[in-house]
Amino acid sequence: MSDKRSNPVDKRSNPADKRSSPMEKNINRREFLKLAAVGVAVAAGTRAVTSTKASSDAPKGKHQWAMVIDQSKCTGCDYCTLACQAHNDISPDMRWNKVIDDGMVGDMQVFVPRPCMHCEKAPCVEVCPVKASYYRDDGIVMMDYERCIGCRYCQVACPYDARSFNWEKFTGENPAVPEWGTPEVERRPRGVPEKCSFCYQTIDRGLSLGLTPGVDSDATPACVNVCPTGARLFGDLNDPESIVSKLLHENPSYRLRENLGTGPRVYYLPAIPEKKEA
Amino acid sequence: MSKKLRSKLVITPWIVWLGFLGILLLAGLAGGILVFWKGLVITNLTDLVPWGLWITIDLSSIALAAGAFSLCAGVYLFGLKRYQPIARTATFIGLIGYTMAMLALILDIGKPERFWKAVVYWNTHSLMWEVTMCVVLYLTVLLFETMPIIANFEWLRKRFPRIAALMGRVHHYAPFLAILGLGLSSLHQSSLGAVYGVIKARPFWFKPEMSVLFMFSAIVGGISLTLFASMLASRLTSKAKVNDALIERAAHFVGYLLIGYFYFRAWDVLSMTYTYDPGRSEGLGLITKGPLAFNFWIGEMLLGMIVPMILLLYKPARMNRFWRMTALLLVAAGVVAFRWDTNLTGLLVVMPYISGQAIAYTSYRPSWIEIVTGAAIIAFGLTGFSLGVKYLRVVDHSLVEGEHAKVQVEAVEPVVV
Repeated sequence: MSDKRSNPVDKRSNPADKRSSPMEKNINRREFLKLAAVGVAVAAGTRAVTSTKASSDAPKGKHQWAMVIDQSKCTGCDYCTLACQAHNDISPDMRWNKVIDDGMVGDMQVFVPRPCMHCEKAPCVEVCPVKASYYRDDGIVMMDYERCIGCRYCQVACPYDARSFNWEKFTGENPAVPEWGTPEVERRPRGVPEKCSFCYQTIDRGLSLGLTPGVDSDATPACVNVCPTGARLFGDLNDPESIVSKLLHENPSYRLRENLGTGPRVYYLPAIPEKKEA
Repeated sequence: MSKKLRSKLVITPWIVWLGFLGILLLAGLAGGILVFWKGLVITNLTDLVPWGLWITIDLSSIALAAGAFSLCAGVYLFGLKRYQPIARTATFIGLIGYTMAMLALILDIGKPERFWKAVVYWNTHSLMWEVTMCVVLYLTVLLFETMPIIANFEWLRKRFPRIAALMGRVHHYAPFLAILGLGLSSLHQSSLGAVYGVIKARPFWFKPEMSVLFMFSAIVGGISLTLFASMLASRLTSKAKVNDALIERAAHFVGYLLIGYFYFRAWDVLSMTYTYDPGRSEGLGLITKGPLAFNFWIGEMLLGMIVPMILLLYKPARMNRFWRMTALLLVAAGVVAFRWDTNLTGLLVVMPYISGQAIAYTSYRPSWIEIVTGAAIIAFGLTGFSLGVKYLRVVDHSLVEGEHAKVQVEAVEPVVV
């Protein structure tokens, strides 16, 4: 059923006029530094604003999990997707995580890995008629596969194409197992959409063992653990000492389709060719 | 003996019609079983186009059932009592339409056995929840509203006269049911548009007039279908009796409504999307010059609005029954085209989530299983209406129902001293 998953977004190629970051393609170092400084200020400002007006609907728990993806480091190897397929026992027809080729910045190939954004104001949660999609206190957008009626309104509403529907039951071998990991969650039934959960099962088990997600690999999402270049980072936004808080404080960052106001919890550090060479 | 049998087996157009519908229903039943058994994988729905033909049938059935609430409101709330016989037909068509919508939804949702959960677990933020609740409640109202009609069933009246009489008496509460119906219908008819209108991720849908258009087109299409069905029935069987002057006057009103609908729709498509907005302009391209262009220009605008508008407002054409019927059927078909176009324009444009990437397009063509089951849902509606005309006198303008909700006060006899 690969045609069900056909995603024209992946097929596009015309690298010349594309860029992965909000920054211009041909800028010299001095201009870049200026831009970056402004970027940091803006990013910091935006975060200050978003945290003060933090969604009244989504209860804020002790932790606020977030992911930072450093595009300077991502090589597009797709290991994150493979680990995800194995740990979450996903059908080969589906992807919770996708790595999308976004053309060149300078002479550097740029990729956009795309998990679920775990939005602060998630369209999928707002539109679900039965509250099968819901917010956890720690910000993870969860699916209750037992409650979902399969209307697919969430799929229609998601701005990031992050949901895959179980058009048929996934039976048989998972080709990513055991090479890329072993399944940690049950397979989803036919007739419901599924999506990335930030590996909540790992986070919850890790926390109960006193581990720190983002620091201890036994408490960290599979895609972050497997990344060979350390392009994916995970942590608690409520903890100013966490790696994600620090990175977002020190670097300009952006989020996907920010203008929609969904408030994604996945942040991207734009690709900077100099950084990669260093 | 054999003579008697032969006379019984005589093939009438009625038998042929029922046989034809029966074949469609059986094929659809087989298709439906296949869908439940194999799952939605046998449809042409995809992750990019998760809503297709069935959703269009669902939306169209509900839209074309809107004659029920609009005409009942007219008769029982706005005092247009002479249209009561048409409202009766509309109520019955309403019940059939909503049942068709339910059938389409049961096929469409991935977990049909969990359908009840929409009524139990409330997400008051969700328009889908609101629509579901309203549709379930309104279907209940329609059941009560059609009770006096079902009480006409000859067999029921003979076998259970008391129950039939009790059902007939529900008629006295018609004004209250009309208020409930008006409220619930206004809510969900417009919310069906808002289901699309609130999706910020798809700019072609994301606009407030979606609700207004869905409501308005439903009223226009719903009344048209009711009038068309009444006229067609009266031409085909003596069981259906219509007051042509009444239908002509209502059809004239539809002509005026069409002007409003035409204005709203033209404004919606051609003005609201005028400036460039990524996704919105691409959606506009799909219906003005893309794969949906024929549907939009010919199906919706020319045949769905302009032609019937002229036919219904130009007196000689309106007085001619053939042209009036043609016009009314075209209006109903135009509303179906509107639902189809609306659903697909938002889905066929694939919005990139990475800034700077180009907008892509996808396509959708229903699979044969979607078509066969969809045809069966329509056949179900036609069967219901045909049986209603034959056995329940659904289209009978000579039938006068008792006055509703009037307190009978006995005159006090004058005392003669």
